[in-house]
Amino acid sequence: MASNTAGRVSPVSAQTRRGRKATAVGWLIWPALLLFALFFLLPLGVLGVMAFLSGNPVNAPAVHFTLRHFQRFFADDLYPEALWATLRIGFLTTLAALLLGYPLAHLMARAHSRIAHALLLMAVIAPMLTGIVVRTFAWMTLLQDRGVINTTLVALGVTERPLKLMYNEFGTIVALTHIYVPFMVLTLAGVIGRVDERLEDAARSLGATRWQAFREVTLPLSLPGILAGSLLVFALSISAYVTPVLMGGTDVLTLPMLIYQQVSSSFNPNFAGALGLILLAVSLTLVIAYNKVLAGLAGEEVS
Amino acid sequence: MPPSPVNPLNPPAVLPGSASVRLQGLSKSFAGTIKALDRVSLDIGAGEFFALLGPSGCGKTTTLRLVAGFETPDEGRIVVGGRDVTEMPVHRRDMGVIFQSYALFPHRTVAENVGFGLRMRKIPRQEIDRRVSAALAQVALTGLEGRRPAQLSGGQQQRVALARAIVIEPPVLLCDEPLGALDRRLRQQMQFELKQLQKQLGVTLLFVTHDQEEALALSDRIAVMNAGRIEQVGAPAEIYERPRTRFVADFVGEINIVDGTWSGGRLLAADGRAMPAPPAAGRDGPGAIAIRPERTMMTAPPAGLLSGRIVTTNYLGGQTLYRIAVDSGASILVKDGRGEGNSVRAIGERVGVLWRAEDAVVLEA
Repeated sequence: MASNTAGRVSPVSAQTRRGRKATAVGWLIWPALLLFALFFLLPLGVLGVMAFLSGNPVNAPAVHFTLRHFQRFFADDLYPEALWATLRIGFLTTLAALLLGYPLAHLMARAHSRIAHALLLMAVIAPMLTGIVVRTFAWMTLLQDRGVINTTLVALGVTERPLKLMYNEFGTIVALTHIYVPFMVLTLAGVIGRVDERLEDAARSLGATRWQAFREVTLPLSLPGILAGSLLVFALSISAYVTPVLMGGTDVLTLPMLIYQQVSSSFNPNFAGALGLILLAVSLTLVIAYNKVLAGLAGEEVS
Repeated sequence: MPPSPVNPLNPPAVLPGSASVRLQGLSKSFAGTIKALDRVSLDIGAGEFFALLGPSGCGKTTTLRLVAGFETPDEGRIVVGGRDVTEMPVHRRDMGVIFQSYALFPHRTVAENVGFGLRMRKIPRQEIDRRVSAALAQVALTGLEGRRPAQLSGGQQQRVALARAIVIEPPVLLCDEPLGALDRRLRQQMQFELKQLQKQLGVTLLFVTHDQEEALALSDRIAVMNAGRIEQVGAPAEIYERPRTRFVADFVGEINIVDGTWSGGRLLAADGRAMPAPPAAGRDGPGAIAIRPERTMMTAPPAGLLSGRIVTTNYLGGQTLYRIAVDSGASILVKDGRGEGNSVRAIGERVGVLWRAEDAVVLEA
């Protein structure tokens, strides 16, 4: 479509128009750029430098370059296991959010009545208005040994002893999924809404069942949304702190929890920096790989 | 369809046959209140090029969507080729559908778009390739197999949509304003090609349009629709020359409608003068006749049935269209050819208007 429109305008006039537009509003980008540099690039740089220093240069002037924080990470099984647990929780949360979120997003995008659409949007957004801590506590009251679910199950005689629904990875993933599914739904609904419904009609007229029409047309065309939503939820859940701490108890140890410990109780910002850098590098690699795979599936549609 | 051995010498796919379409008392309401279709019945013969013509909201697209199976009627039956398909799901109806927006799959190539229906029918790969090539050759798109829809012009997209619909060899083709998005020049060319292809394939073609010129030019028969009902069904010349209702007369081409009162088989104008009209025995009360501008003539004021003053003149090439403000307040269109005694007249000139009784059409209600 874009190439179509560009084809009608001569290349020269299109270029000058774009150039003029850029200079007119170009300076508006500066506040955001400044914020980004000050509060993202600068700390990231400090983090990257700290990870390779023997101590904190602010109170120990005689610091030197070292790789020992990284050696320490791989020397002890505890740390790679925490990294693995973090990625596993992130992956399962993303998968659960996608499986729960897609049907809801589809319903929302295809709701013909404005009221139905507004109600669904409210249902998705309203939980986000309560804090993460509040929602995590809500899950605790549900999933505890003496919580709503276990009390009911025991009273009904379904189980003799309460099921272990929290203070483990399961509870963590349940709560994280609930907290982050709105991001998935909102991202997907936008993309699905832009897929022309008549494409499915066309597929059905050509002999596809409803399910085939969805699988052949709407699903591949919504891959960009699946990609964006998944990356968002994955990034949010591997960096989550409060929910794994409250829901995971002593059974769950994730990298953000480790980093917090290193900074607040071990006073070792250098090792914390190394942990942060490792998490960043691993998740970035995964994200790029995921992007590549999905782009391959969707052909040229995902750019 | 049994898989046939691949043979490059096979002639291009020819339709096994076309089917008749019979609509019996179709009614459909949306959101409970709006009656989109009100007991519509139609008989469309096998191999016929049939147009549903009407303004937007008249129910023509709803009719098409019912035949395709995208909607189910509240009442009535749909019979295609003698088989009742009212309850049959869309994907089993074997209808070729061409959408106004073409609805090409943007993530698939031209060849994949055209081959989609064959793939859904689990036809072997090689035969799909052969039939896709044949269909693309039929619409003159050979060589564009690997392109994506966004890389094609509007006319090419239209042809891909056409190829995708005919490759499944449907007995009926359903077209929803298929040429609406094309510019005038391209549209005329596609009209010609569509008509030729339809005759070549022998397929029944049900065509929805709001463009009366297109309907008149292409169709074997036309059904003019209004407010969910069919006003008139007939051949293009019949619809144009003998519109039955005021709506049809008004919608199809330009026409003059003269209101009056029937009395003793004659139509009397407000001033009591009889208007030339075919004798209509048995009619009484208010009525109207319609006369095409090209059947209306100008004379000297006293010799006319109506007299008035020329308000505008539109030179159309061979002819001139005059709008005349008649003294009674109405306005009349006269289309006048160049010839003896027919010099171009000036705005403001007083003229008389008349027509022959046999050129006037009596309108119902």
